[in-house]
Amino acid sequence: MATETDHSLGEAVAARIERRWATLSIVIVGLLVGMAAYIGIHQATMPQGRVETADPKTLHLSGEFIESNLGSEMEADGSVTVRAIGQQYSFTPQCVVVPAETPITFRATSADVVHGFLIEGTNVNTMLVPGYVTALPVRFKAPGDHVMPCQEFCGIGHQGMWGKVKVIDKAAFRDLAAAKRRLTCVD
Amino acid sequence: MSDQPLFSPRNPWFGISVGVTAAIAVLSAIAGLIWLPLAQPNLKLAGVWDAICSAAGVPRAAVQEAGVKPDFKTSNVVMTSEMLTKVDQVSIGRGATLAQRCAICHGPQGVSDAHSPNLAGQFAAVTYKELNDFKTGARVSVVMGPFAAAMSDQDMKDVAAYYAYLPRVPSDNLDTGRAAPAVVVTGAPMRNIPPCGSCHGDIDNKAGSPWLGGQSAVYIKAQLEAFASGARRNDISQQMRNIARRMTPEEIDQVAHYYEAQP
Repeated sequence: MATETDHSLGEAVAARIERRWATLSIVIVGLLVGMAAYIGIHQATMPQGRVETADPKTLHLSGEFIESNLGSEMEADGSVTVRAIGQQYSFTPQCVVVPAETPITFRATSADVVHGFLIEGTNVNTMLVPGYVTALPVRFKAPGDHVMPCQEFCGIGHQGMWGKVKVIDKAAFRDLAAAKRRLTCVD
Repeated sequence: MSDQPLFSPRNPWFGISVGVTAAIAVLSAIAGLIWLPLAQPNLKLAGVWDAICSAAGVPRAAVQEAGVKPDFKTSNVVMTSEMLTKVDQVSIGRGATLAQRCAICHGPQGVSDAHSPNLAGQFAAVTYKELNDFKTGARVSVVMGPFAAAMSDQDMKDVAAYYAYLPRVPSDNLDTGRAAPAVVVTGAPMRNIPPCGSCHGDIDNKAGSPWLGGQSAVYIKAQLEAFASGARRNDISQQMRNIARRMTPEEIDQVAHYYEAQP
């Protein structure tokens, strides 16, 4: 009978340990899901909300990425939309001008191969994939200049491909936007 | 105990593990596919189904129309690297006849000393694109405009095929010993200038970029200056204006003379 008692005792201990490990695993899984949600919400990973397509061969013919429509646009709600394209081997516009302390949406795509889209000093770091529109929200805290290098090897002229982002004072931007509907700082 | 099957609804361990796993999956799916997308006001979602489709990555065409239309003609050529790369003998033959009217400036063999571009051996896609841009007015020239205006799409393809078929002829200024300027070989990365050779054929060729070897220095210089000033705007999405704008007058001079001396 003594072995019977030992057996049930062992079974109870095993069950308790099993339950604790299972609980711990569930807590870890829950924590990871929560982390993914938290960094998604707080713009650390910047997941894109929609998958939008655009034909890289005909960007210059129609739609929002034609040459005259590229640059920064002041929206009715006070936010700013910036449209740009990457191509071998430059960004158009070469210099992007945006206001500080304003919600900004970048909409960009590639006209040929995969390019990188990175704004130094911010957490903007994504890819421009031909066929797809990259859209991401950004907010710059203070005026200043940032470089925007292509950080995805795109061909033999890759090292010469970069743009500039010029963050200016909100009021100064508003004055510029009143005079012109698409702004760039290309000189 | 040991007789009890492991994967059975009667095994409480099995039931609870599967239940908890499924519950986590369902809760995560609700959070990821519905709650978080709807929590982003800038997505402007139409409802729960739209939220699920967007989060799951169902692609849709970007339908935004351009708010600002160009106040000048832009190139309407759809450029691909396969464009006009198949040799068609009939097209070349037709092109040879049509090209007689081009000979007065571009030479009977596609080469001339008139500072007009040498077309012999030029990529067919390049000649076709420029003719098309002259025709639509995307590239402005008082000489070429009227010629191109009278050409059909097939005429332009044929002339392009003919000139691509002709052998390149080195210019009188051929000097293969001439050292290549830095901007041709490495570009000027600090000034946002990729190497000329990465598109114009010495290192790699980008669709639509002309072969520059043996072209007149006067012509190359004039085109770079026109791109830099914005007088010429038929380069798709500013691909050449972006570069010419950054080049110094000395660099423009150097590359013009370098390419003139190349085969």
